[in-house]
Amino acid sequence: MSRLYPDYDVLSKRWTESWNETTRQVIDRRLGVPREPRFFSSTEWRTLNAVCDRIMPQPKDRPPVPLAAYVDQKITDRLLDGYRYAQLPPQGEAWQRGLAALEQSANDAHGCSFHDLPPEWQDMLLRRMQHGELVGDAWGGMPCKLFFDHRVIPDITHAYYAHPTSWNEIGFGGPASPRGYVRMGLDRRDPWEAAEARPEQDIQRTERKKDRVG
Amino acid sequence: MRQFDENDVVDFVVVGTGAGGGPLLARLAETGFSVVGFDAGPYFRPLEDFASDEREQEKLYWTDERIVDGANPLTMGGKNSGKAVGGSTVHFAMVSLRFRPEWFKSRSALGYGADWPLDWKEMWHYYGKAEKALSIAGPVTYPWGPKRPRYPYRAHELNGAAELLARGAEAMGLKWTATPLATVSAPHGQSPPCVYRGFCRFGCSTNAKQSQLVTFIPRALRAGAEIRDLAMVGSIETGPDGRATGVRYHREGRWRFQKARNVVVAGYAVETPRLLLASATDKYPDGLANSSGLVGKNLMTQSNQAVFGTMSSEVRWYKGPPSLAITEHWNYDDRKDFAGGYCWMAQGPLPVEWATIQTSSRGLWGQALRDAMEKYNHQVGLKMVGEMLPNEANRVTLADERDQYGLRVARVTYSWGENDKALIQHALGQMQTSLEAVGASDIFRQEDDTNHLAGTARMGDDPTTSVVNSDCRTWDIPNLWVCDGSIFPTTGGVNPSLTITSIALRTADRIRILAARGEL
Amino acid sequence: MSRDVNAVALSGVALLGLVALAVKPKYVSGRASPRRARLLVSGRTIDPSAAVRSARRMNRAAGVLATAVLADSAVEHYRGSFHNKAMVAPLVTAALSLAVSAHGNADKRPIRHRVRDGVYSTAALTGLVGTCFHIFNISKKPGGFSWQNLFYSAPIGAPAALILSGAVGFLAERVRDTTPGRAPTIGGISAGRAVAAATSVGLLGTVAEAGLLHFRGAYHDPFMYLPVTIPPIAAAFIGNAALGRTDRPRPMTRFLLRLTAFLGFAGAGFHVLGVARNMGGWWNWSQNLLSGPPIPAPPSFTGMALAGVAALDLMKDHPDV
Repeated sequence: MSRLYPDYDVLSKRWTESWNETTRQVIDRRLGVPREPRFFSSTEWRTLNAVCDRIMPQPKDRPPVPLAAYVDQKITDRLLDGYRYAQLPPQGEAWQRGLAALEQSANDAHGCSFHDLPPEWQDMLLRRMQHGELVGDAWGGMPCKLFFDHRVIPDITHAYYAHPTSWNEIGFGGPASPRGYVRMGLDRRDPWEAAEARPEQDIQRTERKKDRVG
Repeated sequence: MRQFDENDVVDFVVVGTGAGGGPLLARLAETGFSVVGFDAGPYFRPLEDFASDEREQEKLYWTDERIVDGANPLTMGGKNSGKAVGGSTVHFAMVSLRFRPEWFKSRSALGYGADWPLDWKEMWHYYGKAEKALSIAGPVTYPWGPKRPRYPYRAHELNGAAELLARGAEAMGLKWTATPLATVSAPHGQSPPCVYRGFCRFGCSTNAKQSQLVTFIPRALRAGAEIRDLAMVGSIETGPDGRATGVRYHREGRWRFQKARNVVVAGYAVETPRLLLASATDKYPDGLANSSGLVGKNLMTQSNQAVFGTMSSEVRWYKGPPSLAITEHWNYDDRKDFAGGYCWMAQGPLPVEWATIQTSSRGLWGQALRDAMEKYNHQVGLKMVGEMLPNEANRVTLADERDQYGLRVARVTYSWGENDKALIQHALGQMQTSLEAVGASDIFRQEDDTNHLAGTARMGDDPTTSVVNSDCRTWDIPNLWVCDGSIFPTTGGVNPSLTITSIALRTADRIRILAARGEL
Repeated sequence: MSRDVNAVALSGVALLGLVALAVKPKYVSGRASPRRARLLVSGRTIDPSAAVRSARRMNRAAGVLATAVLADSAVEHYRGSFHNKAMVAPLVTAALSLAVSAHGNADKRPIRHRVRDGVYSTAALTGLVGTCFHIFNISKKPGGFSWQNLFYSAPIGAPAALILSGAVGFLAERVRDTTPGRAPTIGGISAGRAVAAATSVGLLGTVAEAGLLHFRGAYHDPFMYLPVTIPPIAAAFIGNAALGRTDRPRPMTRFLLRLTAFLGFAGAGFHVLGVARNMGGWWNWSQNLLSGPPIPAPPSFTGMALAGVAALDLMKDHPDV
């Protein structure tokens, strides 16, 4: 459940004027992403899942967004970004090299696989990657900081924030066609938008607020 | 739709159907020429095809890879490149601004950049025609520049994010205004008024947005033009006399050729030089129209840095067009120790884009990122559009890598200059002051962002220092034209689309006059 | 393009005129009752029930205005999220005004009613306070009294309709409360003239409001010129009647007022079409009823025009020359 917007579910607006048919099909496809990897090997998949868990840790009280599946899908379906840094190979190869190199660093530093490390040590390795400090043959000359900034971060975080679960979490209005918004000013909310729970309010008051205008 | 045979020699082939290609297609067809427009992208039907979803709608962007390098490699895709009939106007933020008149004489009047071989008064006339054709919704009076006719539609209501820009500007003693936008605030023909859904940069599913798709392209079709979508032009062929003979293009699985008396390239500042360079022959070893050596050079983008903060009020900036308010103060105030101008406007990033900004600007990930993102509905931001100066080292060239059509991929090389950096720092300071003035907290800066493109087929009055003349006609090949943002000698401190469209309208008139005189 | 617009507008106006002429609302006494005719023929004897008849007409006019204000303020203040608790005031007072107007319409006694008086006065006062709130609301926004804020902040003209409703109702009570045999007066001047003047002012105010919002809509449809062309002419005529001879028949003024009254309903009809024309049409009612053209607003013209017709009847029944 979203902490700030406890009664809000974007998917509940599916059949209202806020969603059109095209959007329903798109979100269905999003939610129906294949859960098994089609591009990554099983070892790469294990490392990737561990990386996703650290880049976007998810609460245990709801079904997790299958981030690794979206990374795999982006590569399998050849969804490109429109540009590539000269020192980066194409996305599939970049991920393979990066995951292998991360495995190598985990082994070099701690003598075991990345996915077996405790979370704090996984975070440390990722931070070192972010700061450009990881080295090794497995990188094949690919700068680890570029890989972190332009593959790890966008591929994983975009997958998270393109998922309706995250929209509930942040109170985003979600799909809006044909119905958009009427009340656009500060501290104004249309009834079909998320109602924010204030710390001093309890859940019942939030529910009343959602039915009223807010 | 009328369809021409490939062996018909049509009067005009226009490569690219965006801000420059679209108006030209319409006006040439309305004048009576036979015209075929080509676009590498699909011909979307917004009402049916567009979803309310950031990821899905990346289908509007040029997602084929360009190689980026230089000291400040450019982010491409949705920041500056569309791939659809209608070009980047299908995904643009609809900001429709006029140049400051002095910018057409940047070098002689303001001492930097280069002069345009265009008279601002003539451009003023074409701006009016473009604004009318695009039903621009703008304020009743505009605070800067010479008088202009009333915008066809009234400005839109300000959302919370825009109101905060206005309050900040007033606190600093700066004028501000509702942004002139290419989306209607009242019904217009088939277009209903904007419903403020906020997915403007991901395609307008209501057709309130006056992109080329609902304005010039339908006009072109009504006047007898043909549009070939999903048609990637690979090269422009030339004959023994050195003139263009037509275009070689890939469509429905094979390469084809369309004969034409004139070829207009309107692919915007990366695809236009890419095509000209790729069309090199023995006679033109450096590419077409490149005797000056400038094709692909002087690539300019515009600085797009921003400052963001958190408010105690709910802002919910996802409602409405992203930039409902703007200040152009620093485009018209010359008390600065750098050249060029900039404006800043309100912002309303949707979740994926906001995650991009948070991660790239603040290096956040993990729980820290999730916690920061939770404040989504309380965020406020100001984003600049800043002038960057022309530099021949910033350029588009051909890489050795090949794309899915077998064509050499473009390499885009970019580095900011000292003037660019000084302008950016000044703007960031001003925008930060504005946010502080409205009581924002947790203020942070997005120090690396750019948008829009220009410059790679510069317009001038001297064939040795430019690629096209003031009629957008290339100096080297009289029946080869370039009509898009590539022709800009300078970028100015405003979004380029209205200027591109106005120049296209002027070019169409010039072509009509030249044809009447037998000078085509 | 603009020539087409003019042609369409003129033919539309002509058509509406013909229709309005054909429609003769029952309440305008085109035929005198036999007893009344006897009285008029015999000279300047004044019919004691004429004043009450006029007062009841004015109650109806006030009721129409109150209905428009009730519906319009309900929708608009709902859109405003009732963010200030005082925003329920116009709904309450307009509803009460509507109730007492119905009461007044049924009441044939020639004495003013204290409760009706009180409600009408409160309504007018509420409208005045509302206008002040709205002006304050506009002044608080960045840009102050700019076109942008006149378009999109609380509309200045809207609470004025409540002032007018209360004022017309208040005048109705003064007219009713006439000593039989005496001509009704308000503040010393002939009631007919007073109500005619109020009508003229009220019409012009409504014109200004419609004109402003149609300007915001860029007059995208030529019919949007109707409320800024015909009602001003009607306002001029009824204003002239307030100042001129009261023993004139004034058929043109009557016609223009009836036409304006019809326009009020036609406007609501146009606004229904306008809601349908927005994205999603009536299916997207949760947005389009609020952000589309306000359906209850045009009948304010009808209410004002009815008051004007009542004024003409007052002047005809009680000429003061």
